[in-house]
Amino acid sequence: MKNIIKFVLLTLTAFSFSKAAQSIDIKLWDLSGRDGQDEFYELLQKEVKKYNPDINVIVTEWENEAYKTQIQLALNGNDGPDVFFNWFGEDSARLARAGLAMDLTSYADMEGGYGSFISKGWQDAGAVDGKIYGIANKAVSKYFYYDPAFFDQHGLSVPSTFGELIDTCKSIKAIDSSIVPWPMGNSERWKLNHVITMLNQRVVGAENTKADYALTAPDDQLFTNPKYVEAWEKVVELNENCFNDAPNATNPELTRSMFAAQISPMMYCGTWCGGIFASEGFTDFKMFRFPKVEGGADDGTVGFLVAEGLQVSAKTKHPEAAALVASINVSDAMALADAEMRGSLISNATLIDQMKGAPHWFTFYVNDIADKSGHVNVLDVLLEANVSNAYLDMGTEVLNGTKSPQEAMDFIRKVALEAKAAM
Amino acid sequence: MDKTQTESNSFSLSSDKLSVIILLIPALLFCTVFIFIPAFWAIIGSFYSYGMTSLNDWKWVGFGNYKKAAQDEFFWIALKNNFIIVFASIVLQVGVGTILAAILDRGIQYGKVIFRTIIFTPMVISSVAVSIIWLIIYDPNVGILNSIFKAIGFPTPSMGWLGDPDLSIWMIMIVAGWQNTGFMMVLILAGLQGVSKEVYDAAEIDGATGVKAFWYITLPMIRNILIVAILITTIGAFKVFEFVYVLTQGGPSNATQVLGTYIYLQAFNLLHMGYANALSVVLLIIALILGWLQLKASRRA
Amino acid sequence: MSKFKLANLLAYGFVTLFSIYVLLPILVMILTTFKTRREIFLEPLGLPGQFNFSSFEKALSVGLGGFMFNSFLVSLFSVFLIVVISGMAAYVLARVDFKINKYVYLLIVAGFAIPPAAVLVPLYVTVSNLGLLNSIYGIVMPLTAFGIPFTVILFYAFFLDFPREVEEAATIDGCSKIQIFYKIIIPLSGPAIASAAIFQTVWIWNEFLLALIMLTSDDVKTLPLGLFKLRGEWTSDWPAIMAGLTIAIIPVLIVFLIFQKYFVRSLAGLGK
Repeated sequence: MKNIIKFVLLTLTAFSFSKAAQSIDIKLWDLSGRDGQDEFYELLQKEVKKYNPDINVIVTEWENEAYKTQIQLALNGNDGPDVFFNWFGEDSARLARAGLAMDLTSYADMEGGYGSFISKGWQDAGAVDGKIYGIANKAVSKYFYYDPAFFDQHGLSVPSTFGELIDTCKSIKAIDSSIVPWPMGNSERWKLNHVITMLNQRVVGAENTKADYALTAPDDQLFTNPKYVEAWEKVVELNENCFNDAPNATNPELTRSMFAAQISPMMYCGTWCGGIFASEGFTDFKMFRFPKVEGGADDGTVGFLVAEGLQVSAKTKHPEAAALVASINVSDAMALADAEMRGSLISNATLIDQMKGAPHWFTFYVNDIADKSGHVNVLDVLLEANVSNAYLDMGTEVLNGTKSPQEAMDFIRKVALEAKAAM
Repeated sequence: MDKTQTESNSFSLSSDKLSVIILLIPALLFCTVFIFIPAFWAIIGSFYSYGMTSLNDWKWVGFGNYKKAAQDEFFWIALKNNFIIVFASIVLQVGVGTILAAILDRGIQYGKVIFRTIIFTPMVISSVAVSIIWLIIYDPNVGILNSIFKAIGFPTPSMGWLGDPDLSIWMIMIVAGWQNTGFMMVLILAGLQGVSKEVYDAAEIDGATGVKAFWYITLPMIRNILIVAILITTIGAFKVFEFVYVLTQGGPSNATQVLGTYIYLQAFNLLHMGYANALSVVLLIIALILGWLQLKASRRA
Repeated sequence: MSKFKLANLLAYGFVTLFSIYVLLPILVMILTTFKTRREIFLEPLGLPGQFNFSSFEKALSVGLGGFMFNSFLVSLFSVFLIVVISGMAAYVLARVDFKINKYVYLLIVAGFAIPPAAVLVPLYVTVSNLGLLNSIYGIVMPLTAFGIPFTVILFYAFFLDFPREVEEAATIDGCSKIQIFYKIIIPLSGPAIASAAIFQTVWIWNEFLLALIMLTSDDVKTLPLGLFKLRGEWTSDWPAIMAGLTIAIIPVLIVFLIFQKYFVRSLAGLGK
């Protein structure tokens, strides 16, 4: 009798232990506000279970701005997510260097590993010093959106140079001075940062910005190129001719609504905007590339591209399960679903052709991105934290007129020198 | 009989000490763990430079962080803003609060309770909620402030109420005043109600009524309450966080930073923990000086 | 006679104007809730065309109820701990004449002066190391700690004025200090407890900074964090944001209006 009881107790204990050991909770953090994301993550859960039925993927979504600080807090504490979204560039590399992101190199070839899903090029997007610290699953780019009906009605043509862009703005204002040619919502500081990213690319050129951005240029040359000031001067021109009043007090969401409501005929917006305009009832828009700048170093073919993907927290208690979840995120099934459900520009390119019913803007993005000669990452993801913050703040000040382009660059140079010294 | 008494006395004496310790320990424990030890570490940590990852990664920099603060234009802007808030709050919240209190005390006959309730109400609302309400009022595109100005024909600021570095701190003060003036009013009103009617009757015989009576008789009598009110306002001005964080995030371009938000920025956005600690120590020193002043003032009252 | 009337008029005028200044934003908040987004953009000064309750649905879908519940729990536990712990400590400090008590009191007053922002980083590290992040009980601890100094000061002043006779009688009867505290002092300290509870509840219910750094998970967030999140999610959907604010504020306002006599009375005690 005693033995039976013992046996029963032992079995029950073993059962409860193994039951507890069986279920693995993987916390995943991502940005919110994307249509179709719920179905996407339901599918991810199913796909992950095919490889390991014990994994539960628990998704938490965050608003863009809040996410940036919350993820830092969470990763530094002891209760953060296991897998999390990040922009790939300095943002993701910083975490790797601080020991907060896990090295995923060895997980490439495991069963369900990402090595079999995405090309070497895309893998490198998440690499730091040769090791993989993140798995890129998609990218975002930016284009000028315009209202062809408005343009045709008033005989405007698509600008192919910066000078023509300014002229277009002037023409629009001449038609009706209450129309804002290009609404700029810089209340969160990154909208203008995207513009200055492209202006630096067009005016200063990739070759000349490389050493400055990486803070490897010698001290006496760091950010001294006068072309940087010229790029800021272009911002001043845009502010005078194209933007609305109080850009720093206007939020981006409002400006998107202005374009979707056809109150404004033009806007520089991300590839995430096409779907937003459509959801607000406007689908008859078209796009053009950021024009080249006369006298600039770039011929107008390099485009804006920010890779995005998932990283794994170094503090996760289930490294293998977390790595699996991040890998399955880029599997064929998930990639196709990402493109179809969330409208993402996925890293698994061959599948895009398989996509059913792609909206016209999506097809445009895919073709245009493939067509570009090179890509530039956005400054607030690319630069070292303090320099990035300085560029963001200077954007605000140049728009306000409280700092001149030269003063802005002087400040940025000062911050860059300090950051370089602290490295 | 005696034996029992001395026994119970000696018993209660030693259990007295034990009782004292038991009654004091929880308070001391909580305060030590969550206030004093962190304060200690903030001071120690300010002499190092470190990120957040490992405690082994601390780099000794001596007074380096303090030197950095001395040369940091945004630190001085934050400090300046805190002082602007102090003086503006004293003038607006304590000043206007006193006037309102005086009016409610002896200036009007009817509706005292209603007015008092209405004006005090904002105090119980979360500062976050208050800030969000004022965000829509200040919004350059949909806000009523702009609409009212345009309707009257006044010009509206081209950079927006909160986007203009010269205006924004004052717009924040308007929000702070909206919330806190009621508190001051009720506080001072309590003091005013402590002044007996006889004093005023005697003054009236001497020919001092109304405003004169208020200035020469009432104010000196509520001197202590006013000092307490000013000190509470001052301490509060250095604790400001929610208004700035929600309304402007410290912008435009750090124009409205205050010590609280700047410390948060340095610590949790830019991950300069050592530097954030140095800034915290500055705030700590100011806070302790103010606390000591408050102690002296309340002792006198 | 006319001079008197003029001063009276000015007095009424001033206080009325100020009351309007106070009421206007609340009116804006409520009216905005019922407008549509187009109306807000085109007619900021106009009245809503209809009573549109969809904004309330949207606000509730974000989980405001949950945030309010969390705030309620946090406030309940924190205030209870603060009142009991502070009461105990203040009683000893006011009554017992150990020399060390003077220094303990000074120490606690120093604790009152220290704002959370001044110890933000080490506090975060401490709470994180104690495993208290992202938990309701976790945030109750530091909130309690920061509420104790002020409440001790409050009770200390109260106990200094407390008549000693009852306690002396009890001591002769053989009661220990602890027994006296629980059986005699607490029951008779109603006004002080009410004051302390009111102050601390309002402060903790609206506390933002500590909650911001310690509560990152949605299921434990308190109301101020929830409101901030609301504003971030829908930067331009003002009706929904205002609906959320209305839902959050109304209960507090109702409680306040019912108990406002006690609020005011407790403030009167503060000045002394």
